Amino acid sequence: MIKQIFGKLPRKPSKSSHNDSNPNGEGGVNSYYIPNSGISSISKPSSKSSASNSNGANGTVIAPSSTSSNRTNQVNGVYEALPSFRDVPTSEKPNLFIKKLSMCCVVFDFNDPSKNLREKEIKRQTLLELVDYIATVSTKLSDAAMQEIAKVAVVNLFRTFPSANHESKILETLDVDDEEPALEPAWPHLQVVYELLLRFVASPMTDAKLAKRYIDHSFVLKLLDLFDSEDQREREYLKTILHRIYGKFMVHRPFIRKAINNIFYRFIFETEKHNGIAELLEILGSIINGFALPLKEEHKLFLIRALIPLHRPKCASAYHQQLSYCIVQFVEKDFKLADTVIRGLLKYWPVTNSSKEVMFLGELEEVLEATQAAEFQRCMVPLFRQIARCLNSSHFQVAERALFLWNNDHIRNLITQNHKVIMPIVFPAMERNTRGHWNQAVQSLTLNVRKVMAETDQILFDECLAKFQEDEANETEVVAKREATWKLLEELAASKSVSNEAVLVPRFSSSVTLATGKTSGS
Amino acid sequence: MAMVDEPLYPIAVLIDELKNDDIQLRLNSIRRLSTIARALGEERTRKELIPFLSENSDDDDEVLLAMAEELGVFIPFVGGIEFAHVLLPPLESLCTVEETCVREKAVESLCKIGSQMKENDLVESFVPLVKRLAGGEWFAARVSACGIFHVAYQGCTDVLKTELRATYSQLCKDDMPMVRRAAASNLGKFATTVESTFLIAEIMTMFDDLTKDDQDSVRLLAVEGCAALGKLLEPQDCVARILPVIVNFSQDKSWRVRYMVANQLYELCEAVGPDCTRTDLVPAYVRLLRDNEAEVRIAAAGKVTKFCRLLNPELAIQHILPCVKELSSDSSQHVRSALASVIMGMAPILGKDSTIEHLLPIFLSLLKDEFPDVRLNIISKLDQVNQVIGIDLLSQSLLPAIVELAEDRHWRVRLAIIEYVPLLASQLGIGFFDDKLGALCMQWLQDKVYSIREAAANNLKRLAEEFGPEWAMQHLVPQVLDMVNNPHYLHRMMVLRAISLMAPVMGSEITCSKFLPVVVEASKDRVPNIKFNVAKLLQSLIPIVDQSVVDKTIRQCLVDLSEDPDVDVRYFANQALNSIDGSTAAQS
Repeated sequence: MIKQIFGKLPRKPSKSSHNDSNPNGEGGVNSYYIPNSGISSISKPSSKSSASNSNGANGTVIAPSSTSSNRTNQVNGVYEALPSFRDVPTSEKPNLFIKKLSMCCVVFDFNDPSKNLREKEIKRQTLLELVDYIATVSTKLSDAAMQEIAKVAVVNLFRTFPSANHESKILETLDVDDEEPALEPAWPHLQVVYELLLRFVASPMTDAKLAKRYIDHSFVLKLLDLFDSEDQREREYLKTILHRIYGKFMVHRPFIRKAINNIFYRFIFETEKHNGIAELLEILGSIINGFALPLKEEHKLFLIRALIPLHRPKCASAYHQQLSYCIVQFVEKDFKLADTVIRGLLKYWPVTNSSKEVMFLGELEEVLEATQAAEFQRCMVPLFRQIARCLNSSHFQVAERALFLWNNDHIRNLITQNHKVIMPIVFPAMERNTRGHWNQAVQSLTLNVRKVMAETDQILFDECLAKFQEDEANETEVVAKREATWKLLEELAASKSVSNEAVLVPRFSSSVTLATGKTSGS
Repeated sequence: MAMVDEPLYPIAVLIDELKNDDIQLRLNSIRRLSTIARALGEERTRKELIPFLSENSDDDDEVLLAMAEELGVFIPFVGGIEFAHVLLPPLESLCTVEETCVREKAVESLCKIGSQMKENDLVESFVPLVKRLAGGEWFAARVSACGIFHVAYQGCTDVLKTELRATYSQLCKDDMPMVRRAAASNLGKFATTVESTFLIAEIMTMFDDLTKDDQDSVRLLAVEGCAALGKLLEPQDCVARILPVIVNFSQDKSWRVRYMVANQLYELCEAVGPDCTRTDLVPAYVRLLRDNEAEVRIAAAGKVTKFCRLLNPELAIQHILPCVKELSSDSSQHVRSALASVIMGMAPILGKDSTIEHLLPIFLSLLKDEFPDVRLNIISKLDQVNQVIGIDLLSQSLLPAIVELAEDRHWRVRLAIIEYVPLLASQLGIGFFDDKLGALCMQWLQDKVYSIREAAANNLKRLAEEFGPEWAMQHLVPQVLDMVNNPHYLHRMMVLRAISLMAPVMGSEITCSKFLPVVVEASKDRVPNIKFNVAKLLQSLIPIVDQSVVDKTIRQCLVDLSEDPDVDVRYFANQALNSIDGSTAAQS
């Protein structure tokens, strides 16, 4: 990818152009940091003095985004390109590297594309050179270099995203639900900074033991915050980088897992809004893949407390594929978890959202594939109650998906082994379907399954049929009986409170408003 | 069914119902928990029902939510306040479930119960519960704990109070951001119960920690506490401890934090007093009004009137007004809209001269805004505009805006305008109305959207009330009745609707002479919907007209309709006939 970026750039002969742009020999590189440009006598890039001077200047870098209200970052000094790495002796390269890095700590305003065009291009060039350098460098990176790289990342990448309805101009599209995700205007720069960071954490020349002083907890936390970016390209980079950090910085592993969990909890229980859940789950998918057996208690808790509840949010479809992969990994690693997972799915089973229900059925099938008889028996009663409801769904895809479970050899075997329990549960639903599901395909699929059931155990089948018909006949009676019981209770309650005057019995308005209280996992 | 003689076990009924597969049934039975309790009596409720509920916290969240709510008002059923403590265990276990809204409801119920408990019981059962939750293994319990500290703290012993404050301070430093957020958002509530000596020493330390949290989301909630805490402190402490924090927050990296500051700032002004407001908060507020992020400007703009009310007019004109001018042409329509909704309130603060000089141009420019919401927000405060700029200027500048809004492509905008027409009419007077708005009112009757047509019919009624039947006879009735020949049956239906609304206002005579013939004619329409609406309309006319007219005209018309081939027409015609008979019977 980075090669393509290089390919598109007109490589200018840096030396001459550099001199051209400094007619009066005053191109103080670091003069941005030292507002009084008179002090910066570091005009000659090749001179030794400039190196020492710029090192001194490193400490005084102003983090340009430290205040909120600066709508623009004024470049009040002169911002000039440094010589290319090829044009300096090898011994000078590390110093030049650091100087170039500190140059890249200046942030430009990309909301106004016409501003600082020349400086932006210079910075981009510099960033590309840095990426190139870090890829080819053959000595260990110095402490100062690492500090400076981390600073480039902090200053350029770590920012707060604008609010979603920032784009005030698009009056007409306000009603449109599926808005285009906002693209980061500064991406041409950010991409190269990300590339730099990626090469840095991936480079064998980076010593994790030293680098962890800069790639620390706070750095990781800020990096994780960025996963909420609306720009998919950015999240892609973040995913790769975080994965590399996880791989390289062993000391951070528990912290990273904990921090990701916190993001999940906030998303699940508080906001239900986050753009990067899928990417985080992708990283976790590969982490889970590497878990040693037997699974640690911590990891099982992660499954129960974070992964399973992730089925709850409305927007679960955005990351369901990755989530489902993680879940199935767990069950494949430890089949004893199947029961827990299935009960979890049942807990968050969608009530009104049919497309989500179809996803759940898909995931359920994968989990059941990896489920053994013992775990299956433990959860089959609630499970098949839910499946029975799905069979009767008026959304044909839901009904169809549920019926397809019988097409799976492993699952059909499990069902057949336990048909004494399962058949009575699903039979009424099957019967209702065959009598009148609006969808032809569902009807015929149901008939097939019904036939399989009859073949398995004709006697039980007939009993179920008889029971179904009896229940149907008694339906109104059961309802009447229930009402009568409650009426009797009311009377009993009334008589007690009459006999005991001290008891005040207010009619609570609260119980009336309850109906609107909550909508569960749709 | 002969069930009377069978013995009835209320608990068994509940247990049975809660086993049912149908969640609706389970919900119903939980909502009738009080019935079961009353049937059981207080003692058995305490000994049987409540322990059963404590163990039954494995149901669907929806059922648990209902249970949490019911238990909050259960004190009378367990035998009054001295037995309130038996309700704590089931609520405690509901405080530890995962689902947020169940926990919140359980916390709410606990607060309700705890605030009624006697001090002794509080110390013996409520405080230990708070401590257990605060030391809970999973975040759910600790989050819940944060919400009930303020109840436990009041009326417990000094030793326990010290312990509770220490525990709360632990929660503010909890490992999980979820808990710190809960601690931050409940800090203000807790602080109101804490003695002032500990406010500065302990609560403010917790507050400082929270404001320095590395998570935006925690800092955000800490800001929310600023105003609440500020009001508890002495002014000089507030200036020393809160002011720097809020000024700092007003420049936070995260716009969400700045947004919160913008929302809270004016409340803080009251707490710190006028001097600090002038020196510190005005500059902070001005910064927020010019913030980079539109959301922040929206929040700040929405508070501009409230903020100015705290300042003297010179300060407002000198510092705030320039920003207001900028905001009136802000690039975000939401900012302009927020400004438009409050800017009228600035007029009395600035006084008449300044208003005409400074605000009027802004009103007028907002009134011509390209975004309908902005114009609407101005128009909806019309009475205030009127007071400020006088009717002539108003009508000149207003009318084009209204005409445009009346034809806006968003029906909600049209609807809002229609609802202001009677008000406008009363303010502008008959003459002005006739010229400009009359045609619009008729046009709305034929709108594509039903809600608009409905509102338009209602509007006619209100106009008739405003200007009297005579005027309506001239300016509304003929136009409305013309529509009865409209080829579209929905438009013909609107005529009926308008008649039914206007008839009571217009009185018996006009109804008989003008409306009734039209209605009778409409009963011969070819569309059944028209016909059964005629039947409904006739029924509503019965009380307005003379009995003779009912007998002569209405009854005959209804009898005809009651033989219509359409079942619905027959149904409504018969209903109307019945009501004639009913009223005659009542009279005789």
